[in-house]
Amino acid sequence: MRQRRTALGLGFLALALGLAACTGSSGSSSSSTGSTGSSTDKPGGTLQVVQGTAPDSLDPQFSYTTQGAEADDMVYTPLLQYAVKSGTAGTQLIPGLADALPTVSSDQKTYTLTLRSGLKYSDGTAVKASDFTHAIERACKISWGGKSFYTNYIAGAAAYDSGKASSISGIKTNDSTGQITITLTQPYGAFPNLLAFPSSAPIPSSTPMKVLSNNPPVGVGPYKFGTIVPNASYELVKNPLFAGFKIPNIPTGYVDKVEVTKNTNTNTEAQMVLNNQADIFDPGDTVPASVLNAVQTQAKDRYQTVPLASTYYFFLNTQVAPFNNLQARQAVNLATDRTALARLSSGSLAPGCHFLPPTIVGHQGGSCNGADPNAVPSSADVAKAKQMIKAAGLAGTKVTVWSETRSPRQEFCAYFNDLLNQLGFKSSLKVIQDTVYFQTIGNQSLEPQAGFADWSQDFPNPSDFYLLLSKAGIQKVNNENFGNVDDPKIESQLAKLLPVPATKLSTVASGWAALDTYVADQGYVDVYGYQTAPKFMSNRVDFTKAVFSPVYYIEYSTVELK
Amino acid sequence: MTTPDVVGSAEKSADPTGGAGPLRLALRRLKRNRIALVFGVVFVLIVIACLLAPVYAADIAHTGPNTNHISEVITINGKATNVVSLTDLPIGPTWHSKFLLGADTNGRDVAVRLLYGGRTSLEIGLIATLITMIGASLLGILAGFFRGWTDTVISRILDLIWAYPALLLGVALGVSLAVGGLSIGPVHIAGGSNLIPALVIGVVYIPYVARPVRGEVLSLREREFVDAARILGYGRLRIMFSEILPNLSSTLLVFFALQLAQSIVLEAALSFLGAGVQAPNASWGTMLADGVQDVTASPHLTLVPGITLVLAVLAVNIFGDGLRQAFDPRARVRVER
Repeated sequence: MRQRRTALGLGFLALALGLAACTGSSGSSSSSTGSTGSSTDKPGGTLQVVQGTAPDSLDPQFSYTTQGAEADDMVYTPLLQYAVKSGTAGTQLIPGLADALPTVSSDQKTYTLTLRSGLKYSDGTAVKASDFTHAIERACKISWGGKSFYTNYIAGAAAYDSGKASSISGIKTNDSTGQITITLTQPYGAFPNLLAFPSSAPIPSSTPMKVLSNNPPVGVGPYKFGTIVPNASYELVKNPLFAGFKIPNIPTGYVDKVEVTKNTNTNTEAQMVLNNQADIFDPGDTVPASVLNAVQTQAKDRYQTVPLASTYYFFLNTQVAPFNNLQARQAVNLATDRTALARLSSGSLAPGCHFLPPTIVGHQGGSCNGADPNAVPSSADVAKAKQMIKAAGLAGTKVTVWSETRSPRQEFCAYFNDLLNQLGFKSSLKVIQDTVYFQTIGNQSLEPQAGFADWSQDFPNPSDFYLLLSKAGIQKVNNENFGNVDDPKIESQLAKLLPVPATKLSTVASGWAALDTYVADQGYVDVYGYQTAPKFMSNRVDFTKAVFSPVYYIEYSTVELK
Repeated sequence: MTTPDVVGSAEKSADPTGGAGPLRLALRRLKRNRIALVFGVVFVLIVIACLLAPVYAADIAHTGPNTNHISEVITINGKATNVVSLTDLPIGPTWHSKFLLGADTNGRDVAVRLLYGGRTSLEIGLIATLITMIGASLLGILAGFFRGWTDTVISRILDLIWAYPALLLGVALGVSLAVGGLSIGPVHIAGGSNLIPALVIGVVYIPYVARPVRGEVLSLREREFVDAARILGYGRLRIMFSEILPNLSSTLLVFFALQLAQSIVLEAALSFLGAGVQAPNASWGTMLADGVQDVTASPHLTLVPGITLVLAVLAVNIFGDGLRQAFDPRARVRVER
């Protein structure tokens, strides 16, 4: 889900949401008010957030960018959620609206949870167990980008998605007891993580089956949506009901309101935070080189870089020319100067060539096909790649490179476009607005050949990344497998690796690494690095208390004004 | 757009015309306007420099306008220097053949992009101005000559376009056509084509010229030579295009120069806002947009195209005003904004 997020900063919102829920200090103790309840807490005030890209949508069953998830995580608490903590501790699942972690059957195919009692949406409507079913069905019906997570594993979800069934047979609920039972078609080790998606959070069963970006449904979370100005700004207003639920380890938020405003000029964005005119710089954006030095020197006590489990790559459509040709893909991978691309991101990108990023099981650093991505001078071999393209008879093939507008992504793609022209293709660049970028390239009818893509973890599991390279990720709209990679060998390996429970991932690390090496050899994607994100705040904010979640970035509900 | 009416003053004090024709008269007046001539020469030099962009790129800078040099190291005064630093700060002006005016964040030669960008900006400005002048002349003549319902329909359409600020209308049209392009019958203009911003700018400015032209035609159609043509049995089309149009030529010529400046400015504005020339192609507007993110650390990225744009527009504007004064010493013609 993330890709966009990455770009997205999706994680942020999500984080923020989750945080909001967990507001309490680092989320270690139960909270009753917006905060930890400590005598040192200073609730209240308005938090000003600036971000370079508006959310693709605020509808929890449609949004699939980091910017969207940052908001939705504050408004829609799922059955399970991540601990509101920085670092790897923030990848641990804790009960959200469910009263405990799920019980799992011995065959790993049935999950049972029970909804907490007394929960209400922000409008006062009581939460029912069947609302969970409605959320999953709605995500399928309105084509959420990650819906294949549901349709691939939840029994009856595929039939519902295709219109062959009127409901998802694999989800049984009891509104009187709050019990939810989910049956899977096959074991999936990361399934509990799917229950932590904002898209899995219950919403009223009266919510219509259409995208409600500008008027999203109510949820159960520390915040609710206030004024929404599409593609410009939105507000998160504290949900007064949430503190009363006393959900352990989920902060209820400090500030009364979060105002999130889009500013496409990241230079201005950074200057505003540096000068304390805004409080949070969206971690989904890159601090521009021109301001970086000032930020590092003048705001060193409120700026740090946080490594993310995120991969930046150029997708190559394997179903259309020229990248349906193995040599073409290998040539492009061979010629990519990853150290050059790292420079374009103000040094916030660590060069790499493997699809699985650091901290994800199966990641391996080092060379791909004998070329070290970190080598200086660069190991990129344009001359050899050009020969390969010529030998394959692909010189002169027209290619369109798709790009977002924002920096440095457009610069990445300008480089890639120039590289393809150097290799002998006739390449042109197509730049489209950030807000609609992933939905546009996810539309199969446009047959995008190549372009920018990125992915940040939805959850700390390699299977999350391999959705992007599996047949299951291919959709007509909101496609996530932009390269339309459909390789039997990948599918057979995934069939072996996906059932392994998250707790036993380390036992199959070599299997994931082997799969990742195979993908690099096939050149299915042109990976060039792994991103670090800025945690950059104004001096009005308690910097140390604010949690930077590895999944959803900054948790707004842990941000306290001094 | 206004300069001291030097020529007009001179005309009042002495009439050196000696029976010369109107064109020769105008040239004489223009010749006396040194400021206009100097800026005219400046503009011509800019045009020549931009036309020579491929020569400069191939034989002096040895790079193309879109060629990236991110990881390259060059030697300046014996010192090895990164074209782009490890934190993406580009090199400034070297005053050498390579990266004469510095590089941008993708390591592209700013001087090369400036010249190619100038070609693009001038080309779009010229095409847009031609579209404006042809469209405005046709509509203005038709409305002024026929009057009645023809005038009413045309004038209301022009009013409709006029009602929208030129920049906003340009952005709206430019953005909507930038990706999908434009299809009119069998003719398709691709989204990334420079014809899109040229067409948008040309159409947006039609009312600004058509209305004064219409006013001029309303006056001309009552003149004796038009009556004489009617008496001789000339048809309406012949009267419009062989009698009235030639009498509009000086007005149109003045408008052409002034409108060229406006079109270049609007192209820059649209490209700056992403609704004109599409990346990675260079124009002065896209160069400004590329540089604005780094204006504090790398001011050359905005100063170079900015100064060139100002100079070019100033030059063509002052020269155009000189033309206006030469052809119309009583300054009847005014561009309405």
